[in-house]
Amino acid sequence: MAGKEFRRRIHRALNNASLRGALERFADAYIISREQVYAGRDFAALRERIAAIKAGAAGRYEELAEQFTRAVEARGGKVFRAKDAAAAREYIYRVAKEHGITDIVKSKSFASEEIHLNEFLQEHGITPHETDLAEWILQLMPGERPSHMVMPAIHLPKEEVARVFSRYLGEPVEPDIKNMVRIARRELRKKFLTAGMGISGANIAVAETGTIVICTNEGNARLATTVPPVHVAIVGYEKLVPELKDIVPILEALPRSGTGQPITSYVTMITGPVPAWLGEGEGIKELHVILLDNGRTRMAADPVFKEALQCIRCASCTNVCPVFQLVSGQVYGHIYSGGIGSILTAFFNSLEDAADPQSLCIGCRRCAEVCPAKINIPDLVLKLRERVVEKQGLSGGYRIALRGVVAKPELMHTLLRAASRLQGPVTCGRPFIRHLPLFFSSFTAGRSLPAIAGKPLRDRVKDLERPLSWPRLRAAFYSGCVIDFVYPEIGEAVYKVLGREGVQVTFPRGQACCGAPAIYAGDRETAVKLARQNIAALEGAGAEVIVTACPTCAVALKKDFPGLLAGDPAWEGRARAIAAKVKDFTELVYELTGGRQESPGSPAGNGEKQHPGELIPAGKQTVKVTYHDSCHFKRHLGLDRVAREVLKGRQGIELVEMRESDRCCGFGGSYSIKYPEISRPILERKLKNIMDSGAKLVAADCPGCVLQLRGGLDQLGSDVEVKHTAEILAASEE
Amino acid sequence: MAQDDLISFFTRQAEAMGAQVIPVDGVRDIGPQLVEVLKSYGRKVALVDSPVAREAGLEAALAAAGFHIEKDGAGFARQVDTGIVEFDYGIAETGTLAMDATGLKERLAAMLPLTCVALLRAGRIRANLSGVIDAYLERGNWPGYFTLVTGPSRTADIERSLTIGVHGPERLLIILVKDNGGDRLGR
Repeated sequence: MAGKEFRRRIHRALNNASLRGALERFADAYIISREQVYAGRDFAALRERIAAIKAGAAGRYEELAEQFTRAVEARGGKVFRAKDAAAAREYIYRVAKEHGITDIVKSKSFASEEIHLNEFLQEHGITPHETDLAEWILQLMPGERPSHMVMPAIHLPKEEVARVFSRYLGEPVEPDIKNMVRIARRELRKKFLTAGMGISGANIAVAETGTIVICTNEGNARLATTVPPVHVAIVGYEKLVPELKDIVPILEALPRSGTGQPITSYVTMITGPVPAWLGEGEGIKELHVILLDNGRTRMAADPVFKEALQCIRCASCTNVCPVFQLVSGQVYGHIYSGGIGSILTAFFNSLEDAADPQSLCIGCRRCAEVCPAKINIPDLVLKLRERVVEKQGLSGGYRIALRGVVAKPELMHTLLRAASRLQGPVTCGRPFIRHLPLFFSSFTAGRSLPAIAGKPLRDRVKDLERPLSWPRLRAAFYSGCVIDFVYPEIGEAVYKVLGREGVQVTFPRGQACCGAPAIYAGDRETAVKLARQNIAALEGAGAEVIVTACPTCAVALKKDFPGLLAGDPAWEGRARAIAAKVKDFTELVYELTGGRQESPGSPAGNGEKQHPGELIPAGKQTVKVTYHDSCHFKRHLGLDRVAREVLKGRQGIELVEMRESDRCCGFGGSYSIKYPEISRPILERKLKNIMDSGAKLVAADCPGCVLQLRGGLDQLGSDVEVKHTAEILAASEE
Repeated sequence: MAQDDLISFFTRQAEAMGAQVIPVDGVRDIGPQLVEVLKSYGRKVALVDSPVAREAGLEAALAAAGFHIEKDGAGFARQVDTGIVEFDYGIAETGTLAMDATGLKERLAAMLPLTCVALLRAGRIRANLSGVIDAYLERGNWPGYFTLVTGPSRTADIERSLTIGVHGPERLLIILVKDNGGDRLGR
């Protein structure tokens, strides 16, 4: 469970209206400007190139570092390879001391923050001046944390900045942005013109030429590397690329993904020392490049996490993250925030420091979609979670739930049946649990929980399985826990629709939980156990296809089982064979009907047949349906279009799009129980979009989303219904 | 793309990025244009010597119009209103100026004053960054300080409100000289 201090930070951030407002406004605008600035460009090809360049470089940092060093030295610069933060700090201090430097101007550098340079210099009597406007404002506010990697002061209203400036100048400052920017120019110009050293970071470092590339909009890096007689650049190994031409795709993506700009105002490329004013005349300045390791070579040697070194620090992953948007960089606690930040923190700081930040990932995979370096951030976060669990163990609640119950299907099923009988007092005969007593109440704040079904699907299937004389296809239905125990009616709908298409459906009795709760909790041990049990059960069915109507289960069966059992000779092949048979229900319907727009039996193209049903009114009346893209369904299975196609042509359905249809509903499995305070506002936004769409019915392909959305709409007292696609199809074809 | 298309594309992009593009038909027109444009921005000018500046006789033209011209010195460009610098290339795709700014004066004049005048030969406009990188690589030694400038210095750090002129110039005037010189490499 998250630490107390971490929880406190979350609550502080969630209760900070100006922080949330600023981040939300930015993120909303960002989506649009990012789309515009990439219009007409082949983003997929661009990120392939960047990923290839950066991954290739990560495989040979030593060689590139040597080449870079030779190139810089050939021009007369110095390169220092810093093993860790302390070595880098000491080196900079030594250089400053040699020159008797008292004041340093800094342009924005993550690496300098990572090594806690400012504190160190101050302790040693040297004053560092941050010159990026936002960094400077934060520097004038001791104790204030940056809220965003690219725009660290985005959370501060102008009135707050005016107060900070008034305090600094000792005179009243009006909250006029233009005027405050003028003040910053005037005050920081003095520092630029008098500082003895300029410190910069780098966005890219080119090995063949020894060039460092720095992007800024303000131009502070250009001044910091032009005016003072000494320049120190702090460069992480992951900035290295082999050749000059490698900078082109990175410069194409960085500003576009970062802030939706085609290019930053200034791109500066420094190759060796250059002229500067040295007291009484022009001379050649001193250039020191610090190549910072601090965990990077360890990361490069790690076959799993090496991928994270492809990051170009655009922060687009955090810009699209529904969780980050609520809590901001202030919560993550270290220099690098968001999902990618937790991975970097695990190596640059420690696994312990990454434990809480990584737990914030809800797994919606939006970041993976936009990452210009093609980093699979959500999968890496899960791998990180596994390592946290390996080292720290599962927390008490998870251990009991996963190892004590989920890993023991017989026990879990017995408990669920018992729960169904015992839940009377809280459900009051309704299909929802609206309020839970005492400390459980946060589970139902903003969302009702569904009641456990009186009779699980596994006890209903014998009535559903009707042998067909000439089945078109033999399918085994893998229901997953939510359909089995909470929404068996979705399972019944699956039987009904597939039966009509001539599919013989069976329910392998030995099936257990797919293990997703264990996978997403980092509990590999339980996940492996469940994978084996399910594979054995599904093999027994002898089916041609394994159908699921839960995308999370589908991902577990298709992708996670082979991954979990890779390298296990007895199971690897079996896992792959099962994985190859798995198909989502809606996808199967699409294939069986060949994208055909009407129910079986009616001649092609004849749209006159009427479909009376409980959901879809008969005759010409249509019902407005809006489609919610479930994260795993869209971003893992890629079936968002297929689902719409299947729904679109059905008689009586008018498909209307809601805003942000592919934005997470906030469920995330156990996430909504672990972080109800974060899950709830994500759900609220989804509900608002649903209401605004004017639809009477929400279609979704994930029973988890159905659970979350129904619960949210119930508490709002809304009469908008939520149905799984299977239920809608079953009803429309009656 | 034909050079004329590149020029109009460059102009559109540069203006979209907040620069002001002033086309002139030949070097002789630069002086009178600048005298006219700069008079409202202050009379102190830092002028960096360059082929276009020389051919245009800028120093004489500005001096005759009463401008105070700074050409070097310890405090070069620190107190002036405008810096005048010739750039090597334009990049049409992003409306960007490119310069080998290894020389200290180029950097100071282009960054310290509130107004920056960028002289650019129209024939030096390339389609994209790769084209410009190739042009420098062909010249041999890669510049010690290579710089790309697109629009004025800007920040959105306070409430995401776009504000120009935070550290560098708040005004970027590109004098686009439409005469020969397109096939010359370097200065």
